[in-house]
Amino acid sequence: MESFKKTALCAENLTKQYRGISPPAVDGLDLSIFEGEIFGLLGPNGAGKTTTISMLGTILPPDSGTITICGIDTRRRPREVRRLIGLVPQDIALYPELTARENLSFFARLHGLRGEWLKEGIRKALSAAGLSTRAHQKVSTFSGGMKRRLNLAAGMVHSPRFLFLDEPTVGIDAQSRELILGKLQEIRQSGATMLYTTHYMEEAETLCDRVAIMDRGKILVHGAPRKLLASHPGCRNLGELFLELTGKELRD
Amino acid sequence: MLQFLAAAHKEILLLRRDRIGLLVLFLMPALLVLVITLVQNHATRTIGESSTDILFIDYDNGGIGDRLARALSKAEGVSLTRTLDQNPDQASDQAPGSRKPARKRALRAVARGDFQLCLIIPKGMSDNVRQTARDSALEAFSMTAEDESAASPAADLELYFDPTLLPSFRSTVKNLLQLMIVGIEVEEKAAALSELLPRKIRDALAEASGPMAPMLSSMPEPDIEIKWNPRPIMSFREISALETPLEKTPNAVQQNVPAWALFGVFFIALPMAGSFVKERIYGLQYRMLSMPVMYPTIAGGKVFAFMLVCVVQFAVILCIGKWLLPLLGAPSFDMGAAAPWTAIVVALSAILAATGYGILLGTAVRTYEQASMFGPISIVIASALGGIMVPVWAMPRLLQKISVFSPLCWAQNAFLDIFVRGGDIRSVSGDITRLLIFAVACIAIAWRVHHRRAGRGARLN
Repeated sequence: MESFKKTALCAENLTKQYRGISPPAVDGLDLSIFEGEIFGLLGPNGAGKTTTISMLGTILPPDSGTITICGIDTRRRPREVRRLIGLVPQDIALYPELTARENLSFFARLHGLRGEWLKEGIRKALSAAGLSTRAHQKVSTFSGGMKRRLNLAAGMVHSPRFLFLDEPTVGIDAQSRELILGKLQEIRQSGATMLYTTHYMEEAETLCDRVAIMDRGKILVHGAPRKLLASHPGCRNLGELFLELTGKELRD
Repeated sequence: MLQFLAAAHKEILLLRRDRIGLLVLFLMPALLVLVITLVQNHATRTIGESSTDILFIDYDNGGIGDRLARALSKAEGVSLTRTLDQNPDQASDQAPGSRKPARKRALRAVARGDFQLCLIIPKGMSDNVRQTARDSALEAFSMTAEDESAASPAADLELYFDPTLLPSFRSTVKNLLQLMIVGIEVEEKAAALSELLPRKIRDALAEASGPMAPMLSSMPEPDIEIKWNPRPIMSFREISALETPLEKTPNAVQQNVPAWALFGVFFIALPMAGSFVKERIYGLQYRMLSMPVMYPTIAGGKVFAFMLVCVVQFAVILCIGKWLLPLLGAPSFDMGAAAPWTAIVVALSAILAATGYGILLGTAVRTYEQASMFGPISIVIASALGGIMVPVWAMPRLLQKISVFSPLCWAQNAFLDIFVRGGDIRSVSGDITRLLIFAVACIAIAWRVHHRRAGRGARLN
């Protein structure tokens, strides 16, 4: 059935090795993400998730391999790809001394929005983050959850076709997480595709259409959560499968 | 262009909200230019580069005082005051001897620093001088003094200095007075000689004529009048080393206003570097690298905002020099005879060099702490070497050789060329070129560092 879906992202034999560090951060990674799906990229610390997102998001050039997003080669036509993608980084990548609206306005204008498109994009993003009433408040006065929600809003203010989310729910309360996950479902319904990394396995299990578990730069398994659990009868949930595949030793 | 303006607008918003940063950018150079200029202006007074205020008290009234006063009034940069109650300008017109300040009061005024020195002509000075000159003339003709017991020692003028005056200034004043004393001495001795010469001639003739001597001694003394031409027999001319002599004298204001304006401009590197570091640490740069805009466009917007701040900062310092410093007793800043755009070109070149350094600093350091530690130290050292705090010519020879590597030295030299030496765009073109090369080199190195680090292959476009 998957073969009938249109591929939104295709990465083949992706490799990245940082200077002075011997094992490659990403080692021959192959990945296909279909249009409209939420794809979960799971892995312990240092597995290579952020490096993968950086390469897919055109920030870091791979040492080898090819990436196409919506059919466009990211290395040959990076600016065209960047018009289609949005990125929600792991850090709260916002200006603390600017208001929520000013932050969104700045990022939206960098994406080329202006006039009514700009106003509408900001209004929708603020509404999606539940921050419409706090639009004129400085980010430095926000709680952790509000910052996370605004961080997400900044990544989707220009309504991207493909959204990269690097641990968007880390360190926030249940209410904010609930809101973010709800918004991601809404974004999916609007037709956008998402690549999502998280350490919360239950979150991935409920949210993602398909997941990949990666470690030491390689994808160990990938598929729909139910199918993966079915193929590993000893594992009751994604968390147990994750530990079985990646081991229990600490990753610092 | 939209992205460039968005980045500039964002940066201006951030700068407006950073009150401490704004204080550092505007208040610090403003205070420095005020304090340092006023201090140096006072210091130049104490070493005699500006007007020398002399309290002149004549207790003698015998003519020597008037001659000294006339000679001092003719000396360049000397302002003579004869009373403590009046404006010195008015006082110089007052008849000597009237309303003389009591000695103790006069000395207190000097000790307070109201005057740099007090010159007192003691009572009986003129009689004493004339008597000494007569005695001297008698001795010259190997004639004894008429009354040896009455021959007085050399008369002393009383000279009291402000205790804070530097030895070099005291020495200059003493030399000036000594010259005047020598002049008076020559005049008095010539007068005594004129008086004595006829008698000496008559006596010499009487002695040579033998038996005719009694007849000769009863003859009247020959009427010999000696008129000395006051024209000096030797002098010197001061000629400017420049083809066109300077219209104004370099002073603390002309040195300090451009100097501290440049210091403020280069200090922009610190908040600018901080801004780059914060964007990197907060992950903002990471986010922006995924956007459909070249990173140099975003960085360019940021640099443009900081350049605007520099321009305002520079204008504020110039206004302080032009209008505020004169209110505080210092001379007004003079923009020089060169076309204003020459100074604007130099200022923009300096601003580019400063922002280039800010980009390099912000890229090369890894943390905000590194930027806030290395940034100010490097700028203060470059300023000290560049002649911002002390003019380059006053530095030791070794430091003078090193100073040619400081961008602040190039900029300050160009400004002094325009504001003091009467230079034009041609005379400052070398310094402008050096500043622009420095800016380009900084940006190029920053680009390289960014590529190597973020890169290990990361893109900038």
